[in-house]
Amino acid sequence: MSALITFDHATLGYGRRVVLSDISFDIPSGDFLGLVGPNGAGKTTILRAILGSLAPLAGTVAKAPALRFGYVPQRDSVDYNFPLKVLDVVMMGRYDRIGLMHRPTREDRDRACAALEHVGIVNLAENPLGALSGGQKQRALIARALVGEPNVLVLDEPTNGMDLVSTTQILGLVRELHERDNLTVLMVSHALNEVANYVERIALVVERGFRIGTVAQIMTEETLTQMYGIPVEVDEMEGHRIVVARRQGNGIGVHRHA
Amino acid sequence: MLDTVLLFREALYGALVIAVACSVLGVYVVLRRIVFVGAAIAQLSSAGIALALFLGGMGVTSGLTGHPTAFALAFGLAGAMFFGLGGGSRAGVPPDATIGVTYAAAAAAGVLLIAKAKSGEAHDIFLQGNILGITRADTLVLLAVSIPVLLVHILFYKEFLFVSFDREMARTMGYRVTFWNLFLYFTLGLVIAFAMQFAGVILVFNFLVLPAVTGLLLARSMAGIFTVAVGSALLAACVGFSLSVPFDLPSGPAIIACSAALALLAWPARLLQRRG
Repeated sequence: MSALITFDHATLGYGRRVVLSDISFDIPSGDFLGLVGPNGAGKTTILRAILGSLAPLAGTVAKAPALRFGYVPQRDSVDYNFPLKVLDVVMMGRYDRIGLMHRPTREDRDRACAALEHVGIVNLAENPLGALSGGQKQRALIARALVGEPNVLVLDEPTNGMDLVSTTQILGLVRELHERDNLTVLMVSHALNEVANYVERIALVVERGFRIGTVAQIMTEETLTQMYGIPVEVDEMEGHRIVVARRQGNGIGVHRHA
Repeated sequence: MLDTVLLFREALYGALVIAVACSVLGVYVVLRRIVFVGAAIAQLSSAGIALALFLGGMGVTSGLTGHPTAFALAFGLAGAMFFGLGGGSRAGVPPDATIGVTYAAAAAAGVLLIAKAKSGEAHDIFLQGNILGITRADTLVLLAVSIPVLLVHILFYKEFLFVSFDREMARTMGYRVTFWNLFLYFTLGLVIAFAMQFAGVILVFNFLVLPAVTGLLLARSMAGIFTVAVGSALLAACVGFSLSVPFDLPSGPAIIACSAALALLAWPARLLQRRG
């Protein structure tokens, strides 16, 4: 598989502040990669380097020619105060194709409807975006990312603040899009337990460093204990991996890793 | 009553132009939650005029000091660009605090400069404006500024909407978000700097906020908000102006009172809509 994105000894940061140094990996076509780590560890920095809004301080971040990203931002970054219909929001994913000083055409509208159908909420096309539930909003934002016909779907914390049912449905939808359309997917999340059972590879970003591999390679007690710096157990239940961090201090019990 | 109003029809035309231009821009101002940016820019423009009058009184008559409009424009646009670039947020100051500091400093500077300006007018003129003093020439100037600005907003509606609604997505799609943001603020600064000279800080602030709030309460789409905002601004300007002349009321506050009444009426209408 050809690499769509290649980090070659890239050092990333802001000004003189280095966040991640000397990281090398690539994202091949058809990959389903989870970029996982606690808040502040550097996930967003890597994401910005991938999307092109942050140049590496050293090394290179190379991308395949004419690569198009379908970006799904964190739900909270969108202002739901705007009285926009779901269909209008989805059509924004085609604004760069529509061009300056032009209005969306019938074709843009049809493609937006098709994208909504793809994510299962075409019946909500005429509803105000702000009136949707958290899961429905996320589906609308995924449809907006898909309508631009991307090579890579990038989701930033897609399940943040969602209940169990919505989380499962959204992750299932993303997995389905990856399998059905052979879409390359990059999913950023702080929730290792959620992501690990859906993605094919994991890039773990913690303060102690960066490691990338298949789910089986990363989801080991040895790797996670070393990376997080605390004792970690990895259990398996009906094919699902569950990461459990041992409670430290009084040794009373365990709590789940977030 | 109509005859009395018609005596001041040129002033009414000017007020209507200001109402349309400010209410259109006000939709972005309200939706982007930057309502006090409008007040701060207007106050900066008034400080610019005060400086021009002060320098004129000091005998510095060469160059731009004989043109208060140029000073109002320079100060207003400088403020708009400053806020468009984040307004000091990079230095760690919360945006609303920066707006407050700017407003207070500009207001104080305006009062102090006017107090020492030999040819200065009362500072109340800047706050309340002098709608009745608008002439046909003034209206033409306002049209010359407002029409290009409104055309820009029609042509680039998609871009202004996108960077206002979801700048992260816009940036990812290759939009020059900073440019579009500055362009939006530039049009805002331009309209405020000109409108403030005739309508005053408070009336400009009113037209930037209240009609858009009325639109937000009554409409369910962007087109609807723009329509209601412009419609309510025009209605408030007509009614407020028409009542102020025969009853010898200050025109600006009369128009503001009408705008506020429309917004207050829209509130229960919104609640009824929700229940329905």
